[in-house]
Amino acid sequence: MRLSARLLSSEKRQAHSPCPGGPLESLISVSDLEKSYADVKALQGISFSVQPGEVLGILGPNGSGKTTAIKSILGLLTFDAGTISVAGAEIPRQRRRVLSRVGAVLEGARNVYWYLSPRENLRYFAGIRGFAHRQVQKRMEGLLERLGLAEVADKEVRKFSSGMKQKVALACALVHDPDILLLDEPTVGLDVEAAAEVRGMIADLAGRRGRTILVTSHDMSFMEAVCTRVLIVRQGRIVSHESLQGLRRRFSRKVYQVTLAGRPREECLAAIRDLAGLDVSECGRGILLSLLPETPGAFHRALDLLEESGLEPLDISTVESSLEEIFLDLVSRICD
Amino acid sequence: MRLTGLISAEAWMNLWTMKRYLFNTLAMIVVMYLIFLGLFAGLRTFAGERADGESLDTMVVGYVLWMSAMFALSGTSGIVLQESQQGTLEQLYLSPMGTERIFLAKAVIGTVFNFVILTIMLYLVMLTTGRWHSVNLPLFYGMLLLTLLSLQGIGFMMGGIGLIHKRIGAVNQILSFGLIGLMMLPVYPFTPWALLPFVAGAHTINSQIVADAAFPAWWYLLIAGNSLFYLLVGIAIFGVFERRARKLGKLGQY
Repeated sequence: MRLSARLLSSEKRQAHSPCPGGPLESLISVSDLEKSYADVKALQGISFSVQPGEVLGILGPNGSGKTTAIKSILGLLTFDAGTISVAGAEIPRQRRRVLSRVGAVLEGARNVYWYLSPRENLRYFAGIRGFAHRQVQKRMEGLLERLGLAEVADKEVRKFSSGMKQKVALACALVHDPDILLLDEPTVGLDVEAAAEVRGMIADLAGRRGRTILVTSHDMSFMEAVCTRVLIVRQGRIVSHESLQGLRRRFSRKVYQVTLAGRPREECLAAIRDLAGLDVSECGRGILLSLLPETPGAFHRALDLLEESGLEPLDISTVESSLEEIFLDLVSRICD
Repeated sequence: MRLTGLISAEAWMNLWTMKRYLFNTLAMIVVMYLIFLGLFAGLRTFAGERADGESLDTMVVGYVLWMSAMFALSGTSGIVLQESQQGTLEQLYLSPMGTERIFLAKAVIGTVFNFVILTIMLYLVMLTTGRWHSVNLPLFYGMLLLTLLSLQGIGFMMGGIGLIHKRIGAVNQILSFGLIGLMMLPVYPFTPWALLPFVAGAHTINSQIVADAAFPAWWYLLIAGNSLFYLLVGIAIFGVFERRARKLGKLGQY
């Protein structure tokens, strides 16, 4: 069966049965969610669930429906069809009940008041969630300390770097001590160092503090570092839905670096290229052979072709695919 | 406790904003002082010795009534516009308190702050000019707060429109002029015009506070009912626009 057909049939299966665990055990359960803006279908029947303590990532290119999914769960958008339940409460009917257990950092939006300091932002956001200042003072100080904001707690947020601003937004999302966090592109626009810092914080929230997190991003290294499971979405559909290990096992290309004594002849490379399920590229003192998971025989045939052209491999090593490579490969194969 | 947390947060935010933008706050206070001074001095210039206490009271009441009405009318749409521009509107929508309560708290606290500043300015001008009004301020502000609820309702409607169309300053200006026309309508003894928002309350304030006119109890009930009706209708219409904005995905846009 062609890979794209297999993916689509797996997608259909998922649409009718949310992932293992089912809605009863899930903190977030989304089923057959559809949303259109005029004639643009942003979500086309996606289903997934998030278990307590899990970090689920939604990965996809721009315009794939990630933000629409997050905003639908938060009730900031009305969806056209499907159901959403968070901690046993339905969206949009029981939205307020849900919001007392959820914190969110939204993409693009500034999330916090730039003319206030981190401490003042925390105080205000706690207040509009119904907490008196003295009720949350200890938690506020703890958050400022933990997120590395204590030293700048009284400075205006507008003077901060993007990374620091994102930390303030995260602190405000946590001020009412929610057990569920929804983060939409939390590392977008951050430099490498700031992104690593935010990544560390989210990993800490999930790991040590046991919060359930749903996070969207197109930053693969971020997703690899913090997520236990990743959904890959494209054009409003889920094209893959499994753990990172499962994703690797199913879709990762096996890449072999073959060191050779000399450069292979063009006819030899052309013959290798003609083998089904295998890509070849030259690299340094050898070649890279990239195989689809279901075509292991092609690798041995390529080695035979090299030997027939008089080039004995000096060394063969494997290279593990990054999530980025898997993602790009997956998306390009679905497009084909 | 939950509502007190919200109210104290909004009161703190108002105070903080005044302190943070001190120059603007001072400018506003000076302008207010000068306007009151102008009203007092103008009255003396044009009416001379004939300017009695009642004329002064009429001016003071008219000015405060007008300022407060303008604030109530454009308050919610102003908040929507400001929060949209700042990119924080969606975060307000993530409060389990509900946006209607947050916006109502913002509007009422903003009105109370206005009353406090207006009162301070009023007394400063009276000290400066040596002319004293005889307005019963607690009664005046109590009546005004009740009456303004109907305009808060209209403000909510405008805020709802603002969620979709964002900039609606021009519509607010048209409404302001409309308000002048409304205030001239005859409402007492009862006419159907009294059912329009703000009109009966404004008439009562002018007649009772300035001219010591008396009204039957049912008339005050009518004003309270009118205010409550327009406030609830305004909140309901705000909800309709809000649902539309959620459908179109416009809550976070500016």
